Amino acid sequence: MIVIRNEKLRRMMKIAFLFLIPAVIVIGALISEEKSYAPVSLAVTVLALGLFLCGFEQKKIGTRRLVTVAVMVALSVVGRFIPLFKPITALTIITAIYIGGEAGFLVGSLSAVISNFYFGQGPWTPFQMLAWGMIGLLAGLFAKQLKASRIVLVLYGVLSGAAFSVVMDIWTVLWYNEGLVWELYSAAIVAALPHTILYAVSNMIFLMLFAKPFGEKLERVKKKYGI
Amino acid sequence: MRTLENSNPIATAVFFLCAAGIAMFSRDPVITGLSLIGAVLLWMIQGEGGHWFLAVFLLAGTLVNPLFNHKGSMVLFVLNNNPVTLEALLYGALSSAMVVATIYWFRSFSKIMTSDKLLYILGSTMPKLSLILSMALRYVPLFSRQAKTVSDAQKTLGLYREENWIDNIRGKIRVFSVMVTWTLENGIITADSMEARGYGAGRRSFFSIYRFTLRDVLFLTGSLLLTAISLLAMYGGDTPAVVSFYPALEVISVKNWPIKTWVSYISYGILVFLPAVAKVGEEIKWKYLQSKI
Repeated sequence: MIVIRNEKLRRMMKIAFLFLIPAVIVIGALISEEKSYAPVSLAVTVLALGLFLCGFEQKKIGTRRLVTVAVMVALSVVGRFIPLFKPITALTIITAIYIGGEAGFLVGSLSAVISNFYFGQGPWTPFQMLAWGMIGLLAGLFAKQLKASRIVLVLYGVLSGAAFSVVMDIWTVLWYNEGLVWELYSAAIVAALPHTILYAVSNMIFLMLFAKPFGEKLERVKKKYGI
Repeated sequence: MRTLENSNPIATAVFFLCAAGIAMFSRDPVITGLSLIGAVLLWMIQGEGGHWFLAVFLLAGTLVNPLFNHKGSMVLFVLNNNPVTLEALLYGALSSAMVVATIYWFRSFSKIMTSDKLLYILGSTMPKLSLILSMALRYVPLFSRQAKTVSDAQKTLGLYREENWIDNIRGKIRVFSVMVTWTLENGIITADSMEARGYGAGRRSFFSIYRFTLRDVLFLTGSLLLTAISLLAMYGGDTPAVVSFYPALEVISVKNWPIKTWVSYISYGILVFLPAVAKVGEEIKWKYLQSKI
């Protein structure tokens, strides 16, 4: 099996990713502007994910932290089997607040891949990964504010739930129609509205119910074992 | 050539990337048709069904476009002061056929590329990530089982009745809370055990049953070559599109197709039908060997 053992090579890969992103955009724009929206956005998404994950590979991370991330991913995947209400976003946000933004990114993006093993992979998988990952990363950045106020936390959950649907629909329309048609996009958003509302509400419920007890548990494990 | 599920995961993944990649972003009716037939065939080869939902999806996707998109010159009828055009209808059919074909490709991909194969590919470049993934994958069934144990125990304790749904939800939340504590502690124990056995002390080695044989190399280079030929013939140079939809429908008849177009279609056709051919070849060989007994 091929293993990239050379650390330098790995670092070069990361730098290559960084330059590939603008390169892909420029090439896409040169070939054909409208027609390349969908493939270019997919390529950029995959590269951005690759960039982040390469960075994660280079870091020294304790085994306990690593395993905790795996546990949180598994929990949110198990939670996705609850009918109607999906706790992935809530768990991602909670992880990000208490363990850190990077852990949040990993929990969000990996939960997307693994739960899609059960619910169906597709070209939407990278977008879900990046969207959920970013929700986690941002929550990690604003951890202090989110921890301080329950209202801000719930608001963040609702907004990120709504933003998730709105952003995902952009690509659906781009892909279906080669270029963004506003009528189609607004139709897609309206069609997804019940889903979006359910999604935002479930984020709200889960955050209200879980944020405190979950946070206490994570804090306790953190204190007890020093993650 | 071996069948797709027996090939090396890297070769298999590249095949799917090529076949689905061209299908996803091409708006050529012939390519989309080939891709749809190939993808459905691959799905059926594995003895799978479930076509109804996608058939309905195909129809709905076709009808949605002309309702919202009013480009085109051949007006079929007028609905609420908005013209419904033939071009938009056909374009909608093409788009939704493309989406359905892609969904079929990804269905087969999920079926064939099992998680161990995916980890084999990831493990080579991203050891930490693949470790997290494989642990999480292993935890999912473990947690489900433990959750059932906890919930059964709580039921026998008489902590909640199932007929009252608020009680039911409360009980589920209690189970979930128990699970969280249990899993976090369990994870820490796993981590300690891993460290005690030397995780992180040196390079991680992987066990894998996949080897890269000559047939895999042939399959891999074959897929890449066919894709490159198909893409170059289609997009290199000024090959005109066989069908252009807007502003007015223009179709080049089969007799006037340029050679480049033919080359592109034939090489993509070969690529798409490779797994089916391999499967049929294997069946024939199997029947032949059986008949000799």
